[in-house]
Amino acid sequence: MAGDERVAICDGGIFRPDLWHGENAEEGVAIAYQELLKNVPNLTTDDIDALCMSYFSDHLNGQLCMGWIVQDYLGLHNKPGYRVESGGSTSIDAIVNSYYMIKSGMFDVILIPGWEWMCEVDVATTNEMIASAADTDWDFPVGGYYNAYYAALEVRHMQLYGETCEDLGRIAVKNHNNSLRWPYSQWLSQHGKAPITLNDYWKSRLVCWPYRVLNTAVMSEGACVLLMATESKARRFTDTPMWIAGVGLGTDSMRPGDRTVDFAYEGMKDEAKIYPDFVEPIKTPYPDMANFASLHIAAKRAYPQAGITNPLRELDLIELFAPYDGVELCLWEDLMLCPRGEGKTLIREGIVEYGGECPSNLSGGLTASGHPVGATSLYYTLFLYWQLAGKINEKCGPKGLQVPDARKALITGHGGTGCQGAAVIFESD
Amino acid sequence: MTEVGMGEIKVKVRKIKRTRRENKYKHYPIVEDNSTSAHEYWEPIVNTGLWSIKGYQVVKGPWGGGTVEESLRREPKEFMVIDRAAFALYSHSYGLVSPFFRGLLEGKLKGTKCPKCGTVYCPPRAHCWNPKCRVADCEWLDLPLTGVIHTFTVQCLAAAPFEHQLPFSMGWVKIDGADTTLAMMLHISPRELFIGQKVKIGFVPKEQRKGDLTDCYAVAVPGQKVPDWACLQKDPKELESLEASMKQTIEFIKKRYGLDNSLKVRGW
Repeated sequence: MAGDERVAICDGGIFRPDLWHGENAEEGVAIAYQELLKNVPNLTTDDIDALCMSYFSDHLNGQLCMGWIVQDYLGLHNKPGYRVESGGSTSIDAIVNSYYMIKSGMFDVILIPGWEWMCEVDVATTNEMIASAADTDWDFPVGGYYNAYYAALEVRHMQLYGETCEDLGRIAVKNHNNSLRWPYSQWLSQHGKAPITLNDYWKSRLVCWPYRVLNTAVMSEGACVLLMATESKARRFTDTPMWIAGVGLGTDSMRPGDRTVDFAYEGMKDEAKIYPDFVEPIKTPYPDMANFASLHIAAKRAYPQAGITNPLRELDLIELFAPYDGVELCLWEDLMLCPRGEGKTLIREGIVEYGGECPSNLSGGLTASGHPVGATSLYYTLFLYWQLAGKINEKCGPKGLQVPDARKALITGHGGTGCQGAAVIFESD
Repeated sequence: MTEVGMGEIKVKVRKIKRTRRENKYKHYPIVEDNSTSAHEYWEPIVNTGLWSIKGYQVVKGPWGGGTVEESLRREPKEFMVIDRAAFALYSHSYGLVSPFFRGLLEGKLKGTKCPKCGTVYCPPRAHCWNPKCRVADCEWLDLPLTGVIHTFTVQCLAAAPFEHQLPFSMGWVKIDGADTTLAMMLHISPRELFIGQKVKIGFVPKEQRKGDLTDCYAVAVPGQKVPDWACLQKDPKELESLEASMKQTIEFIKKRYGLDNSLKVRGW
């Protein structure tokens, strides 16, 4: 029975993210698919049982049912296929959906094409169209867009737990410099090879206090495809399958402002031990407008499946969906790498740097290496695949940041202000 | 007929002669109409055609797969890029919480209260979201025009409709007596702004109100001292750098929109 077997990621292909591409979305996906076919020479189209299309916005290109265009462009339109959409969560949810589809026993091999072409409208309009994933009655009309929402969340967290703008700067420097070692990186294309320093950080333009340009996700056009299969099929495609060892999903309120009475997370008061005296208590202290309960519960669901009890020690590296640097810091707490309020320690002590106990976003992540929403989590999953397969130096050359003997890794993805999220744990043989 | 477009491609815009806009709610009376002018403004634009192509450019750029270096090594290709506009005007109902927005027109803040668990919602919910209350119907109540800043940001870059107001601060205010927090504009200088600050809710002049959240804003209750733990002010360097960015933003807005958004002119 196929559903009893383990499920593997069996390689993939990238059409690198950049601010603009001459190629349109279906051509970009085809180029990524070409790379997959090159990486997996044994794969024939007959092997593919179904497709799961991953893209987030209909507005950005003024094209509904883009998935049909892509499926036909690849010549795979005789296969079952549908689209997954959940804002920023789209691409991680495509992986989770495919995992469930394979686990159901209905399909053995699933191809996930993911893409986003975000620069057909101008940046202000892209921001507005993305902001329509927030509550358009309550949060959007008051100068709201995601830069502002996330900035306000970070201000609250900063006030409660004492990280500083310099800590956010350190994360920005870490991620941008990591991304220079990943040859598909958008930062590399836009900025060139020179590393940045904290001084560059202070000089970068302020967007919404405390976030500067170097703290915020880039706008991208790009594509990525992933191949997922049952254990018996996976062995035909790759010698280094990356197993899905745990999957957790979580959601939270649409409006972050409602998280002061977040009844659904009421039982997690123990998570709020560090709550300074000078701040008036609220009805439910976790997650407040500070942390990400959806990712916390997702991790709580995923860790036991993968047998993880001490994530900081047991995970060899993590790739976090952090469109803003404060999110990465908060997620270290919500994923229980450290207690709530201690995220700052992980960056200050280098624990999340290359060579540290649990390197975070060695790819560079969303603020540097690219964020074509529907492809984002596929792109970073592929990075982890090459890490766990020990192929980083083969892909990136000698400068690649290969984690020696990496066996277990975690990726998160989320949409909105953490309104929906997923944590997926991978392991190699 | 007027013509819009660029280069060789012109699009005819039909002026719509209509005394009465489309009535979507045939069977129900319209009690108040404050949107006819919006329809007069939008409909000619909408009628230029959702998908008609307005112009094009040819751009020479990199192409193909692989790494950044590999794509830069190839001879660039020329791509034709078309301009196509899409517009829509949505007639969206505020639903059962419509009284909140009509309250704004009157200069009032309304919330809802769950009769079972007693939680007070502002933004109001018509139904309680406490799982124990089984989606109970909430009751309306009037809330005071005072509250406390729960969190905030200062924007030096904004989405399109707010750009001309830059720089500005917005945040979430916990209205006194409510348990949730409401997003609004903060007319407070960054020198004074802190989490936990007591605020009063003000309203724009009655004739300018539209029945949405931009009708109200928060101002600081006078006489409060910025506490020494306040995250924005405790590092003077940070405040200085924010103020320098705000100054640049004010200059940019002056150049682009001819508006003087300096704090002195705005009075906060």
